[in-house]
Order: sequence, then structure tokens, then C-alpha cells
Amino acid sequence: MVQQNYILQSFNCINGPTAARLHDMGLCEGCPIKVIQRYPFHGPVIIENDHQRIGLRYQVFAQLTGE
Amino acid sequence: MTTVALIGNPNTGKTTLFNSLTDKYAYVGNWTGVTVEKKQGQVKDTDIMMIDLPGVYSLDPLTKDESVVADYLMHNEPQLILNVTNASQLRRNLLLTIEVLELGYPTILVLNMIDDLKRTGFEYNCTVLADRLGCKVVTTNARNRKGIAELRKQVIDYPDQNADGLTLDYPPMIQQAIRQASTRLVKGTGYSLRFARWLTIQFMNKNKVVRHFAKENQLAPLLQQQAYYDAQKFADRIFDTRLTFIEGLLKDARQQLATSNNRQLTSKIDRVVTNPLLGLPIFALIFFIMFKLSFDWVGTPLSNLLDQFISGPVSTTADHLLASLGAIPALRSLVVNGIIAGVGGVLAFVPQIFMLFACISLLEDSGYMARAALVTDRIMQAIGLNGKSFIPLIIGFGCNVTGVMAARTIEQPKERLVTTLIMPYMSCSARLPIYSLFVAAFFPRHQALIVLSLYFLGVVVALTMAKLYQVIFQVKESSIFVVELPQYHVPRLDIIWHGTWDKGKGFIKKAGTIIFAGTVLIWLLSSFGTTGFVSNSANSFAADLGRLLVPIFKPIGVIQWQAISALFTGVLAKEVITSSMMVMFHTSSKAVLITALGQFISPLAAYSLLVFILLYAPCFATLATIKQETGSGKWALYSAGSSLVVAYLIAGLIFQVGQLFL
Amino acid sequence: MKLLINVLIILAIVAYAFYLLGKTFKKSKQGKCAACDFDCAIKQQLNKSHH
Repeated sequence: MVQQNYILQSFNCINGPTAARLHDMGLCEGCPIKVIQRYPFHGPVIIENDHQRIGLRYQVFAQLTGE
Repeated sequence: MTTVALIGNPNTGKTTLFNSLTDKYAYVGNWTGVTVEKKQGQVKDTDIMMIDLPGVYSLDPLTKDESVVADYLMHNEPQLILNVTNASQLRRNLLLTIEVLELGYPTILVLNMIDDLKRTGFEYNCTVLADRLGCKVVTTNARNRKGIAELRKQVIDYPDQNADGLTLDYPPMIQQAIRQASTRLVKGTGYSLRFARWLTIQFMNKNKVVRHFAKENQLAPLLQQQAYYDAQKFADRIFDTRLTFIEGLLKDARQQLATSNNRQLTSKIDRVVTNPLLGLPIFALIFFIMFKLSFDWVGTPLSNLLDQFISGPVSTTADHLLASLGAIPALRSLVVNGIIAGVGGVLAFVPQIFMLFACISLLEDSGYMARAALVTDRIMQAIGLNGKSFIPLIIGFGCNVTGVMAARTIEQPKERLVTTLIMPYMSCSARLPIYSLFVAAFFPRHQALIVLSLYFLGVVVALTMAKLYQVIFQVKESSIFVVELPQYHVPRLDIIWHGTWDKGKGFIKKAGTIIFAGTVLIWLLSSFGTTGFVSNSANSFAADLGRLLVPIFKPIGVIQWQAISALFTGVLAKEVITSSMMVMFHTSSKAVLITALGQFISPLAAYSLLVFILLYAPCFATLATIKQETGSGKWALYSAGSSLVVAYLIAGLIFQVGQLFL
Repeated sequence: MKLLINVLIILAIVAYAFYLLGKTFKKSKQGKCAACDFDCAIKQQLNKSHH
């Protein structure tokens, strides 16, 4: 079973605008998130946080969670 | 006049609220970026003007449409701001609220979608929120009009709103810096202290519009400190302070409700439509059904009825009337074979076009669009775009002009440019009448399928071109793809109707303007020749022009002058191609034209002509919009030139290869 | 006389068509689609910020 709950680790590696957008959506270091869906071939990942569902690219997700 | 500005995050139901409060309907959709520009309307029975601004996550813009909001706030003074929030996501919505409140205009905080929040088992104490934020708080549920009357009352009573603004407890070091800079600003420029403070905080927060503004206006108190602010990471610390404030506030305001029934609908639907395996097939299926509805099941039968009416009773009555009034043949020809045939011929397609728009509106209102962006992202990534480009492209099916405008919601400049450049390959609704006519004449058994194949070809060409541009432009900048998936809504009939009307009314309006003008133009060209007024259009100027160009069009299978002359008029607006055909065949009846066409070219040449029409050149309005949005006439010229070449090559290929087999 | 009225009507229709043509071209040059002709504070704002 793949892990479903993550804590966001670091915003340092992702590009500025993406980090800014995630901040504006209320995501920050230490925020808990839940993975709803993953797509094959390292496609986007749907995460849920604070009643909102957000689609992210896998690379960004991996950098955020340190996966 | 009083101005009220609506500000809020995307997907908070701002536009629905706007529509319930004002008597002008704006366009509603359940995806980010519906309001790419401006919407303004009057609050019912008052002289209060309401402005619907694009949804933003913060005042610091990432995209072109978002910069409208910061710009608006810096150059206008609304008497009242309605800050619309999604009550279930108050934590992130309040980040924007703080930025707005710091500006110090009278503000009403609207907790919209309150029913969604209550379903999750708690709510917020509005008095606590109002006290701590220093503004009025109203709860609404715009989709079922709950709380609208109360909100309207509050808006009308706006002079009672206090406007102290909000002063957060930033760390002492930042407080001091704000004080120093804003005092100097007030002295130097005469700004109000409130505005100077706001400007300083936004400047510290790296707001691009404000930084640009500071540079342009030589605001030394800010510019001198920029390096210091950035080195001390003021932006991050401001963010932390705000988030801490919000979390504290929400904790204090939160009230448990006795009942809770968790929202299952969105999760259940999402499990299917965003399924990794089923996602794309479902996406394709939805589009197939959309075309079936427009071309087989509903749209076409209605169009045929309308056509019978226009070409039968309307046309003959007009002819008899004119004859009895003593009109000469030229005038009768202009009215009956020109205007009624051309304009009426296009109007007969209204049912099909409205059906297609209704389907697009339904998709937008339900919340599916954001999912479409998600499931297509992986494919789009491979060609250097991202899933978000897909939404403007789908909007482009309606009208390329709005599609190009919608591309403003794409963050990355090069992705935006590429999306704009491939937009004309998306088959806009104006091209539908000519497809519809040709498929009825040549492929009566497979109408929806053939039309769908054209749309599909357009998409394939668009994506191929995008890949090509990716290689040429060497796109390396990292893409931004963060897409919010809103809750599904049960579609509301009036919203769908208004979305359909909003998109479709332009089509009807064009019938009275550009299509009418184009029809008269082509009537002139096909009714006059070197010998004056001619009754046989084969001796007309249009025929001369068409014949002249036959050698060029021969490789793609088009050797009829009527078709070639009609292509020219398509640059005015694509619908005019259909009108031109009607006029040049001197008929106002679709059925007659269909029979005439059948004997006139082979099915293969007809398909190749349709492919050429699909790809050949954007209409004038699209070209102008490309010029405006890219800020350069060269891109518009390039777009026209490149699409001509692409159209010629692909139509030629289809015709030549097809000939080998048929 | 009858002919004159007929010709006048034709000329009027043609002139109106050309007037519409000219108007649409002018409008689309400003980047507007023939369908929507509404202008407001924000649109002007946006145009201002471009220049």
C-alpha cells in the first residue's frame, strides 16, 4: 500500500512562482496533505488539504514531500 | 456613482454572486479564469455599479489576468469592496482578505458556499470574525440564492461601513520598516498613510505590480530599501505572520455543529473521472456525446426545421412582396438571393451552435474543466505545454477570440504564446455551418463522425505545431502547473442557459453585422461582371477571381470558382463562407444547395476543402486579438501565413493520398 | 421614377453593408471580437497598463 499522508517538507527546491502559488493556496512547510490520486508515467498528483483538492506535477510533489 | 468591486479567490462563486446581485448576466464557470477580463453591472434597482474582477489567489499576480486586480486597486478607489470567499477554505481565502483589508477601503467579507461548510460539521462565528478583522461579515450560498437579499441590503447601506482597515502585528523589525518607509512616502508623494502602508507591505511582499509601480514613480523610500527587505526575507515573515493570525482567528471563531454529513459526491465522481486509466477515455467520450448531441440527436433536426422555414415561407413571401411592390430584378435578387439566403442560411445553424455551447457551459458549470486540465496534463507536458492550456483551447471551440483571451490564465509566457499561436487550429463554432452543409451533402450517414474527425484533426495539428514550437523556442523554463479542483455542482439550468446565451448571442449579433456585410459584398461580386449586372453568376467578378486561382487550388482538389471565392470571404468571419456559397448558388434553401453540391465535387475533394477551411487562416478578429495579446503585429502575420501553409500542405496531402485509394 | 427608388434602395443597402464592414474592421483592430462590444473601467485599465 502506497503512503497516503504526507507532511510538506521544503519549498526550497521548487521554482518561485509555483512556491508563491502554493503559499497563496495556504500550503506551507509542515502542512499535512493527503494524496488522493496518482497518475502513471509520473503524471500529476492530486492532493487534498483543508478541504481543497489541488493537482500538481509529480516533480513538484516529490520535491515538496521529499519522496 | 458608487462603485463596488468584487474580489476573491477563483472558484468562490464570485460571478454567480455578481449575477444574482446585478441585472446583467456575466459568464459563470466552475474553473479558474472564467472572468479573464471585466464584468460590470448595475445592482438591481439602484445606481450602484458593481465590477467583477478576475479571481486571484493573492494581489501578487502570476498571470496576466491576475494583474488586472492589483492594477485596479492601485488606480481606482472603489467605495466598497466585496471580498467573496469560499467558506470551506477560509484559511487560504483570508490570506487575500488581509491584503485587501490592509488597503483600508470599506469591505464586506462574504462567506459564500456556506452550505458546503455546514455539511462538514462546523461553522464560523461571524461576530468573532467581524470584530477581529474589522469589517462586516455576511454568509451566503449564492447557488441557491441564500443570503443574497441580506447582502444586497448591506451593499446599499455601504456608507455605514467603517473603514479602519486592519493592522496586523508584524514582527517589530518589519513594523519599524513599514513605519519609516510609509512616513517618508506620505511626505514625498502626498499619498494617504493607509495607502502608503499598504504599498510598503506589498512592496516588501515582492508584489510585481507594486514593484513595477515603485520603479516607474521613482519611490525612493521603497527602492532604497529593497535589497534589505529581500535579504531579511520580509516576504516570508509577512506570510508567516498572516498565517498565524488566520489560524488563531479561525480556531476562536470555529463552532461545532450537531449534524454533519460529509460531502461524498465530489469524491465519488472524482474516483471515476480522474481515474488514471479511465480519465482519458471518459474525456474522449464526453466530447463524442457532445458532438452527437449537436449534430445527430438534437441540433441537426432543429436546424433543418429552421432552414425549411427560412427557405420556404420567409423567402417566397419576401419575393412575392417585393414583386408586388414593383421591385426590379436586381433588388429582388439582393434581398432574396443575397440577404435572406446568406444571413438566413447562417441563422439556420443557430440550434446546432447553441447545443454545442450548452454542452460547453454544462462542462464549465459542473466543474469538469479543471479535471480535463488534469487528465490531459501528462500529454501536454510532452509537447511543452501544460494541462492548463487545454482549457483555453476548448474555449477556442466556441470562438478563437475568447480562447486567445482565456490563454491569459497561463502563467508561463512562452506557454501562453504557444497556446495563442495554435489557437486558430481549434475549430471555432463559426466553421460549423460549412461543415454541417458539406457533411449533409456528402456524408449523410456519418455526419457527427466526420465533423468530429475535423475537430480531432484540428487538435492534432495544434498539438503537432506546439511540439514544433517547443523545439524551435527551446522552452526550458520550468512550467507552473498548480490546478485547483473545485467541488462538483449539480448544474443549474439558468446558469447553463445564460452561459449558452452569452456565448451564442455573439453569433446572432454577427449575423446582423459582419455576416450581413459579407453577404452583400459577395452578392455584389457575384451579380456584377465586366458587362454590368449579370443574371448568371458564372459571368461575374467573383467567377473571374475564382477561375484565376484555380491552378493554385487544383492540388487540393478544389477546381470550382464558387468555393475559391467563398474562401476569401472567410477572413471576414468564417460563417461568411457559408453565406457566400448560398449567394453564389442563388438559393436560400440548405436542401437545394446540398443537392447542388453533391453533383459538383467529389466527396474526397469536399473533405479536403473542409480540411483547408478548418486550418487556413484565422478570421480578422482573431488576428487582431493575437496582435493585442502578444503585443506584436508580427505574430498575427505569422499566424496567418503559417496556417495558410499548413492548411495547403495537409489538405493537399489528404487529397493526393486519397486519390490513390479512391 | 420606380427605377430610381429601386436603385436608391440597393445603394442604401450596399452603403450600410460597407459602413458595417468598416465599423467591424475598426473594432477588431482594437482586439475586439465582432460579438462583444462592451467596454468598462477594467478593460480601459488593462489597456492603460499595456501602454
